[in-house]
Amino acid sequence: MKAFEWINASSVSEAVQLLKSSPAPSDIDDAARPIAGGQDLLTTMKDYSSRPARVVNLKSIRGLNLIQGNARQGLTIGALVTLSQLEENPVVRASFPGLAEAAHSIATPQIRNLGTVGGNLCQRPRCWYFRLEDVVCLKKGGSECYAATGENKYNAILGGGPSYIVHPSDLAPMLVALGAGVSVVGVEGKRMIPLEKFFTLPSEGSIRRENVLKNDDIITQINVPASPFAAHSTYLKFKERESMDFALASVAAAVQLGASRKVTQARIVLGGVAPIPWRATEAEKFLAGKTLSGEVLKETAKLALVGAQPLEKNAYKVPLTATLVRRALAKAGGVAA
Amino acid sequence: MQQAPIKKKKKVRVPKVVNGVETMVEIEVDEDAGPGWGPNDKHTLLNHRLTRVDGPLKVSGVARYTHDVRLPGMLYGRILRCPHAHARLTKFDSAAASRIPGVQAIIQTPLKEFLFHGMPVAAVAATTPEIAGDALHAIKVEYEVLPHVVKAAESIKPGSPKALPDEVNVEEKEKRGDAQKTDAAFAECDAVVEAEYQTPRIHHACLETHGLTVDYRGGETAMVYASTQGTFTIPGDAAKNLELPESAVTSVVEHMGGGFGSKFGIGVEGMLACKLSKQTKTPVKLMLTRYDEFVMAGNRSGSWQKFKAGVKKDGTLIALRATQYRLGGLGDGSQAGQPYVYRVRDTYREVFALHTNEDSSIAMRAPGHPQASFAMESLMDELAYKIGMDPIAFRKLNLKDEVYHRQLDRGARAIGWERRKPNAEGAGPLKRGLGCAVGTWGGGGNNQCKVEVTVARDGAVVVAVGTQDLGTGTRTYTRAIVAEELGLQLKDVVEKIGNSKLGSANPSGGSTTAASLSPSVKDAAIKARLAIAEKIAPLLGGVKPEEIKFENGRATAGEKSMTWQQVSAALPASGIAAHGEWRSDLQSRGVHGVCFAEVEVDVETGHIRPIKMVQVQDGGLPLNRLTMESQINGGMIQSLGMALWEGRVMDAKLGIQLNPGFGDYKLPGSLEMPEMVPIIDDDDKREAVIGIAEACIIPALGALANAVFNACGLRVRELPITPDKILMGVMNGRNLA
Repeated sequence: MKAFEWINASSVSEAVQLLKSSPAPSDIDDAARPIAGGQDLLTTMKDYSSRPARVVNLKSIRGLNLIQGNARQGLTIGALVTLSQLEENPVVRASFPGLAEAAHSIATPQIRNLGTVGGNLCQRPRCWYFRLEDVVCLKKGGSECYAATGENKYNAILGGGPSYIVHPSDLAPMLVALGAGVSVVGVEGKRMIPLEKFFTLPSEGSIRRENVLKNDDIITQINVPASPFAAHSTYLKFKERESMDFALASVAAAVQLGASRKVTQARIVLGGVAPIPWRATEAEKFLAGKTLSGEVLKETAKLALVGAQPLEKNAYKVPLTATLVRRALAKAGGVAA
Repeated sequence: MQQAPIKKKKKVRVPKVVNGVETMVEIEVDEDAGPGWGPNDKHTLLNHRLTRVDGPLKVSGVARYTHDVRLPGMLYGRILRCPHAHARLTKFDSAAASRIPGVQAIIQTPLKEFLFHGMPVAAVAATTPEIAGDALHAIKVEYEVLPHVVKAAESIKPGSPKALPDEVNVEEKEKRGDAQKTDAAFAECDAVVEAEYQTPRIHHACLETHGLTVDYRGGETAMVYASTQGTFTIPGDAAKNLELPESAVTSVVEHMGGGFGSKFGIGVEGMLACKLSKQTKTPVKLMLTRYDEFVMAGNRSGSWQKFKAGVKKDGTLIALRATQYRLGGLGDGSQAGQPYVYRVRDTYREVFALHTNEDSSIAMRAPGHPQASFAMESLMDELAYKIGMDPIAFRKLNLKDEVYHRQLDRGARAIGWERRKPNAEGAGPLKRGLGCAVGTWGGGGNNQCKVEVTVARDGAVVVAVGTQDLGTGTRTYTRAIVAEELGLQLKDVVEKIGNSKLGSANPSGGSTTAASLSPSVKDAAIKARLAIAEKIAPLLGGVKPEEIKFENGRATAGEKSMTWQQVSAALPASGIAAHGEWRSDLQSRGVHGVCFAEVEVDVETGHIRPIKMVQVQDGGLPLNRLTMESQINGGMIQSLGMALWEGRVMDAKLGIQLNPGFGDYKLPGSLEMPEMVPIIDDDDKREAVIGIAEACIIPALGALANAVFNACGLRVRELPITPDKILMGVMNGRNLA
């Protein structure tokens, strides 16, 4: 990796200033970077896809590693909370079970001990063309998304183009399903962003980034509101290799059941299939007022994948995701798949 | 027991393995060589479960691997690789790189044309690995990019770019059998199957990457610490590059982190490290990065096999026509000839090397056999299904070697074959199935090992030989053979290995180490015992030396007995030393092996869960049962990885490997492990040592693929069998080409 300057920030505002005052980069990926767990950043620095001259350590800032709140008030999760803190937290496990499951599904215990919630949301794509130093793809300032016509087994079936990455985060689909937002601090102060508006499609945001953050923005907190469906949430992730893998496809689901176990409202967000956590709004609407029968689940799964446009080598993701939608909803709703 | 000194010689044919490629050579050995191992069930240490002697060192981190070597003032080497699949160097400017503080040397490889992505272009030595990495990025290199081909399906097409400048892409290697007769024989068959099978290129994935530390400081000698399968394959090549006499170079291989066939000789990285050390007169450590390891440290060749096979209703194999492509990149690759171990009346095969712009394949655990076994065993299964015959009965009918019959029966009992349903059935997405397959290997030794056993007056016993322990338990059995012969325990003997100044030994390829080394160790131990016996015979009432028994830490003759301390105290001041040579009668070759697998397939997600694997393996005298079981388990695990996850993925357009790391090159982890049952076939009564390391990686591929078919009715003919292939099979309706 390129040699860099390391600075321990003592406060969020100092961190923001340190990021801003770093020399202006010639390329976006030469810009100063904040580091927390470093589990993704260091890998991108090792393959030179990010080349910061300055790395600003956030772990030296106090108070950002707490999980507060409960089922009635909702949760506030500090950006420096580790993934293992999240998966082990008793309140999260009891009242936001899908979030604990999503955290548990990530990588390995060693990585979860270091990786943070904020960092998980800001991960760069796993697309192998993006990760290889010798390839300058569209997302690295090149002119071509090699995955579009190349080895695209792991790429997007929804929302793709001109880049076909999938968003790698497991927390993101679950947090979107739970209606979460992030507190972001930048040079102009603090702002709240609903997570659904945080991630950007390649066709709408910067092709070089996956979210709305500017170089000198820092996520400080994740806010998960209290909701009638959080307690019936689940995260189902399908990995090619159970021991450690990113999702081939995943589903974050949450349901609120009313009288005679009819669905009052539902949230369905797909992971591993689109450049952003993919909310299946049509499927959610369809479910409202229905009983979770086998037929209903099938129809919901079909609707969740409306508009899917598989590439040459990832058509399998359609039936796979459909299965996961059915199974996740059945689990969240306490019925047989 | 001891017989007269040996004079008569006889000629025997034994295998000789160079870089994992086995050929037969004729050598002269003693006809009446002396005492043997004795019955396999009469040993006190051998054929027992011995905890490996290097275990505590390894788990506590004390064991020093080549990666751990740190010498004062040492420099770190890194390699600059070609970023194109085929290119000609047009500009190389290292001026800026050499100005980076800490950069001590930059050297170029002699090549101007690069034939695969990752091919070494230059190397840097710097005071830290990070500075060396920065220097690589500061070297200004320009290339003329040339046409490349990395996919077999493209390479085979007429007019495709040539992978090698001086060779056609499709190179004929063998034609064997009667094509016309075979083609005509299909008319007699009741059932004919035509199918194509493919396996991708696989990586050795050694935990310790290739590399070495060259300790040369401008003097007359050099030390080379190497992660190698051949202690004695290092000094010659290193000496050439250091411009020293071979005898001035000592290689050291204390512990090494895996080779699987990939580590013979110093390699390009060794050549570069030597040149850097020579130039700087400073020790240079050059270990490949994991990325380097994937793109330039070799791989198992892929395969593409096309079959037409015909069978009678009663199960008799009549005809097989096979076209076998070895996908070895720039190399020739390897593949055992079909019909592998089966008896087929009329066969014809044609074998080709199909070249691509990829790093040459090299030897990997049982070169060519897993590929051949997977394809043949899948084909056997397809034929058995086609005529409605039980796959075990079908195999027995067409395997003439009775050992397979007993092993198939044994494995069938262990897996519970009677539970197998002929076809996928039942409601719900989870389908279970069983499959089996067979394999074969040589594993004989050769005459290369010279062993020294010394006993000091204080009772210390040392067995010394320059061999290397790849993790295969060499240290432990070397000790055990000597300890058993002298009636001692493992702790009473110390082994000294992994140094080219010790007695010579063969490189560990072709599973030849055990059968090459242990006879020499045994010979040295017997001679040591007799030398000791001669010294103490007068103290034991003047008995004949060969009548003295060495057991339980004592030397006994009739009523008289001495402790080991008394025995050693009776030796001359210099102790005794005995020299051991290889004896062909203490080893043999030729093993079988069968694997059974049970899997569960989720036909709605494509997930395949291996439930249970059983492998029955013969191997003559098991030197250490615990190690042999570990070898069998390791073979099953490595094979499981090939069957369900592993494979090098190339991009056709860019000509580069897309998964050169442990994130995307998916080795199975602990959560992927099935219940594993390693079974040593003790019905093999040969009182001889045979290597089995390679044998046990062969049959599991076929067993797993056949289990998947039995579970869900999908025949996946291209490894690895991943969820996407299962789901596409379900979508498109069964059998997958």
